[in-house]
Amino acid sequence: MLENILYILYGYGSAIALGLKYTVIITVTSYSIGIALGLFIALLRVYGSRLPRALLTVFVEIIRGTPMMVQLFFVYYALPELGILLDPVTASIIAIAINSAVYQSEYIRASISAIPYSQFESALSIGLTKFKIVWIVILPQAIRVAIPALVNEAIYLFKYSSIAYFVTAPELMYIGKSIGSKTFLYMEVYIILAFIYIIISILLTELAKIIERRHTVPSFIGSKV
Amino acid sequence: MESNILVVENLWKFYGREVILKNINFTVKRGETKVIIGPSGAGKSTLLRCINLLVRPDRGRIILDGDVITERRDVHNIRSQIGFVFQHFNLFNHLTAIDNVLLGLIKVKKLPREEAMRRAKEALLSVGITEELWRKYPAQLSGGQQQRVAIARAIAMDPKIILFDEPTSALDPELIWEVLNVMEKLSRNGMTMIVVTHELGFAIKVAHEVMFMDGGTIIERGPPNQILLNPKGERIKRFMDRMWYLYSLNRSSKVA
Amino acid sequence: MNNVMSWIKDIQFFTYVNIILSSITTTFILSIASFILATIVALLLSFIEVFGPRPLVKAVEWYVKIVRGIPLILALFIFYYGLPRFGFPLPPLYSAIIGITLVDSAYQEQLFKGAIEGVSEKQIEAAYAIGLTKWKAFRHVILPQAFRIAIPGWINEFSIVLKDSSIAYAIGVTEIFTQAVHVAQVIADYLKPLLLVSLIYLCICYPLSYISNRFHRRLIEMGMIGS
Repeated sequence: MLENILYILYGYGSAIALGLKYTVIITVTSYSIGIALGLFIALLRVYGSRLPRALLTVFVEIIRGTPMMVQLFFVYYALPELGILLDPVTASIIAIAINSAVYQSEYIRASISAIPYSQFESALSIGLTKFKIVWIVILPQAIRVAIPALVNEAIYLFKYSSIAYFVTAPELMYIGKSIGSKTFLYMEVYIILAFIYIIISILLTELAKIIERRHTVPSFIGSKV
Repeated sequence: MESNILVVENLWKFYGREVILKNINFTVKRGETKVIIGPSGAGKSTLLRCINLLVRPDRGRIILDGDVITERRDVHNIRSQIGFVFQHFNLFNHLTAIDNVLLGLIKVKKLPREEAMRRAKEALLSVGITEELWRKYPAQLSGGQQQRVAIARAIAMDPKIILFDEPTSALDPELIWEVLNVMEKLSRNGMTMIVVTHELGFAIKVAHEVMFMDGGTIIERGPPNQILLNPKGERIKRFMDRMWYLYSLNRSSKVA
Repeated sequence: MNNVMSWIKDIQFFTYVNIILSSITTTFILSIASFILATIVALLLSFIEVFGPRPLVKAVEWYVKIVRGIPLILALFIFYYGLPRFGFPLPPLYSAIIGITLVDSAYQEQLFKGAIEGVSEKQIEAAYAIGLTKWKAFRHVILPQAFRIAIPGWINEFSIVLKDSSIAYAIGVTEIFTQAVHVAQVIADYLKPLLLVSLIYLCICYPLSYISNRFHRRLIEMGMIGS
């Protein structure tokens, strides 16, 4: 078995590296779009007027209530019926980004509501406008509270980007499957993939802990005592 | 029957290299109410926690009713004989007021349900918690009501002594009175109590002895009038001046 | 003529709806079985991590770390393609149940551990102060509160498992998503089958999320968790 693993690493190492590259591209891009869109959705849902709030609530519930798989298939297979054709990587990024935006908006929204109203009041009392209060008083605090959840989301997306396999985006899982079908050494390939996913996830988790520690403000909500 | 219900001998407590309690010695007589005052960080709270073994003292002995409890291993049996009232009430959030009182009676004292019920109701009524509040959860009660339920939880266990750890300092001013009132009644009825508090009025009116703690040790002790109105040491004088300032009273004013 | 054609189409449509709906049992078996098994494993692991001896605690920590790093698809592939090589060929449904159980147990372990540790120190101190033993304090104060604290997350976790069960498509388990894709391929129309399965997932997940939120709010009202 070890021999086979070495054989695959030797023979298909560069293919695996390419797969990892696509996995990273899909993860990073969809996460970034997700956080920007998520912030937008969160702010509109907390501070927006009634109509956008209602529409976004429905949108969020629909996305949260359905599997990412369905959303991905929708973007890749159903949109062409409406005249929108996307390549596998773009389709994956869009589907994952929308899904992630909704979850990230929920994390941000929850942490905005965790900021006591007294913060808003005291900012009003020194004469700040509503927009400035949100931007320079509420959000910086809310984002700190949301950091653990937002980082978890990144790790989650890194693993979940593997569903791009289903629409033939050439990421790790897809490359793995094709190496497997060429060599019939499925188990060995999957062990290598598992190893890569696990190592990177653990590294990201450790990195997350460092970030959290660095952004801790003493006796702040969410900071460890 | 010995008159000393609690004897604390040569008690020391360390956290790492820091000395929290330094050679504490005192006795409490049956039916006595002892008030401990002192600045924050003096070790008052740790001392109370040592007495009911929530914190293990590092050196020294504690004797409860002739029983050297620091040498006992069945700490939960000891704790069931010592009531403890917390600053933040610490009622069990998942239980109603009456169930909070019942838990110890049924699970620790192993009383039959009817007997436990009778005692719980009696305890709740004695602290002025009437029937309409019995089925409420802690979160549905005011701070004063919660603390009175906590006192009922302690007295229902029929303890030999009750320890109060700043029982009113988490309460709004107008709720403090109802709790102090219950404590005063308890004291008059002969309950043995050690009370850590900043309520000078209560101390003067109710305490048999006041102990001033600072830096992990007892600096001065005596009758309330002496300690609170005519303290001797420099440190305690400064502390009392500030306390009386907060209490909006002049030290020279006569206290009945 | 046109009328007849649309009639035929409608009949076809209902046949397909029926095909998709009939596979809902598989979705339920798959998600409920994996979820319950994962709960059992996770409860055991979380008790070990909170109360167990040091080496076992470390072992559980590593189990969680490793399992949480594995994408579900990969876990399914490993159990479906890997086990036969060790002489345990399993039908896809069983492989999927094992795979989801494995991955979800790590998430649920974190949930239960967090709930046990989420019971405040003050509550535990109060339990000791009235003379409860360690075991009784656990039984009558920590466990009942931890149980309540865990409920909202536990309900959400089921929604996650239910939605993730669609990934069993990868190894050909015929649950609703797989069936919808099959239908889509036959009628060469993805839009309607996908909308239909979305509706099915929504009808289950939305009420669950509503109930979970209600429980969460109740916990805040009772002071058992911070707002």
